[in-house]
Amino acid sequence: MAKTGVEKYMAPDKLMTAKEAVGKFIKDGESFVFANCLYSMPLALAHELIRQKKKNLLCFQQGGIEEIDQLIETGTIDRLVLAYNFRAGGKRLVTPMDRAMKEGRVKVEEMTNHTLLSMMKAGAMGYPFIPVMGGIRVTDVVKRNGFLGDQRFAEVEDPFTGNRVLLVKGYNPDVALMHVQRADRAGNGQLWGAMINSKWAALAAKRVILSTEKIVESDVIKSSPHLTIVPAHKVAAVVECPFGAHPSELAGHYDYDMPFRALFVASSQSQKGMKAWLDEWIYEVSDRKEYIDHYIEKFGGDTLETLKAKPFESTPADYGFPFTRIWDENDNSEQLGMSIEEFIDMLDKKGVLIDGD
Amino acid sequence: MGIRYTIDELIVARAAKEINDNEMVVIGQGIPMAAGVLARATHAPNIVIITEAGIYGMEPFKVPLHIADVSCTRGFTYSCDMVDIFTTVVNRGYVDVTFLGVGQIDRYGNMNSSYIGDPDNFDIRMMGAGGAPEFVGYANRAVLTMRGGEFVEKLDYFTSPGYVEGGNSRYEAGMPEGSGPSVLISTKGVFKFDPDTKEMYLSGLHPGATVEDVKADIPWDLSVADNLETTTLPTEEELDIIRHFAPEISMGRQLQLETIAARLGRLFAKVAAGSKAEK
Repeated sequence: MAKTGVEKYMAPDKLMTAKEAVGKFIKDGESFVFANCLYSMPLALAHELIRQKKKNLLCFQQGGIEEIDQLIETGTIDRLVLAYNFRAGGKRLVTPMDRAMKEGRVKVEEMTNHTLLSMMKAGAMGYPFIPVMGGIRVTDVVKRNGFLGDQRFAEVEDPFTGNRVLLVKGYNPDVALMHVQRADRAGNGQLWGAMINSKWAALAAKRVILSTEKIVESDVIKSSPHLTIVPAHKVAAVVECPFGAHPSELAGHYDYDMPFRALFVASSQSQKGMKAWLDEWIYEVSDRKEYIDHYIEKFGGDTLETLKAKPFESTPADYGFPFTRIWDENDNSEQLGMSIEEFIDMLDKKGVLIDGD
Repeated sequence: MGIRYTIDELIVARAAKEINDNEMVVIGQGIPMAAGVLARATHAPNIVIITEAGIYGMEPFKVPLHIADVSCTRGFTYSCDMVDIFTTVVNRGYVDVTFLGVGQIDRYGNMNSSYIGDPDNFDIRMMGAGGAPEFVGYANRAVLTMRGGEFVEKLDYFTSPGYVEGGNSRYEAGMPEGSGPSVLISTKGVFKFDPDTKEMYLSGLHPGATVEDVKADIPWDLSVADNLETTTLPTEEELDIIRHFAPEISMGRQLQLETIAARLGRLFAKVAAGSKAEK
């Protein structure tokens, strides 16, 4: 029996704007996962969620930085499954997420990096659950349930040894947001650098909204398939988006932007400052291009230039082989010892050709 | 004048001595990364440094901001992912030593990196579990460093397992036999764990610190080794390596924040000057 509810995206050209992609492929109340964390963060897409005033989303995030504060402060997400939160200003600085948790505007489920990603891996593989490293059963991460309740961990007896095994449940978020270095129009996305959770988060989701630094011809993908992190059939929309991960970093393109991040941290200390930041960098720009134009206008093109990567090229993999085909350019086969006409003649003489009339 | 060092440099140099050559080492950012780089530049040139982001065999040239920092991907030899690191590397028992900075710690080396105060109405929220529970749970040894953390009778939140309730309880809970925290390096001294009871004891003091100084921070009656070691001072060579690789670690967190603020100030001065020139 065919599985129900399978989403499969086979169109050869899915190129659209971030506005169209987010408008079309994520609905209020759905769940989504960031299919990058810390590195290559799909921040242009996250900002589009905020700009379109999406509401009541459930977010899975391995390791959050500023996007978590932005999504919570704007009410875009009200539930968060999280393993790690980078605290740029140190632990004593009160963040928008801290305030929202205290005021009950967001519910947070604590996981470890391994167990959160294992939920995605099981979901990606179509399995109901997967074993994880059981020693952590003594910790509060396992013992204290959040809003997912008992739908995270369970213990069973290993049927082969009788030992206890800790399991996590598989999850399939509705959407994965992902940013990569390059993709073709069909959505074959290629990422390199820190691979972290990208593969499993993208494959776990029902559909992927993919932003890419640049669109390339399919020939580029076909000469480097080992770099493809997500295959086209998972990808609902492809968005071409230079600087789509700023202020996070992306190998071959740009480094993280520390002063810009420090500016956000400073702004986020008050609700007023936070609002001004959101207005300036999300609500009052229409897309990532306007955001970057505004950046250049404010800080100067040379400031942006200091972030740009110097090349460090990977040695290409040689996919060559002898290109031996059965038929040569004259339709003769050395292997069969005959031409294509002689081949058809042989089929006829041996009586294996069936008359179509 | 004798050697002049900062407390962070002393901790880095002491932590580096916990790494042996030819070991596989899991490190995050901060003091541990500086210790790993120092070890490799001195007595342990053949170690493999790994971060949980799937970066294996890295050759860092600066302290990464985080475990997936793009600077970690210069010179790495194996690009895998986080599932691969936890399962095929950590769970299979290949990790000799991992490092962890301490938020809260109890007498058995269990740690909290999640919440200070009642988790449902916390005073401070820290970074959370991340990879710490499985790394500390499954690496052969864990080297703990403590800069701003605290010793407590009971953790506000139990994030990462040390020796659980002491004795054999860690291994009964499912963690590998013989694994566990091996040493804790604080700003005042060095602590180890009793081989039988698994309770923490003071094994050494940094120059200038006293047993009373140490005990003042600890809510239980701390055992003290009969022959307390005195931490060896960093050498000029070590200090040179640390300062070139990680000046921000040498200076410590407070000065680091001040230099970031100063950098922002310079940037805004430039922006202001630019808009003036336009007008």
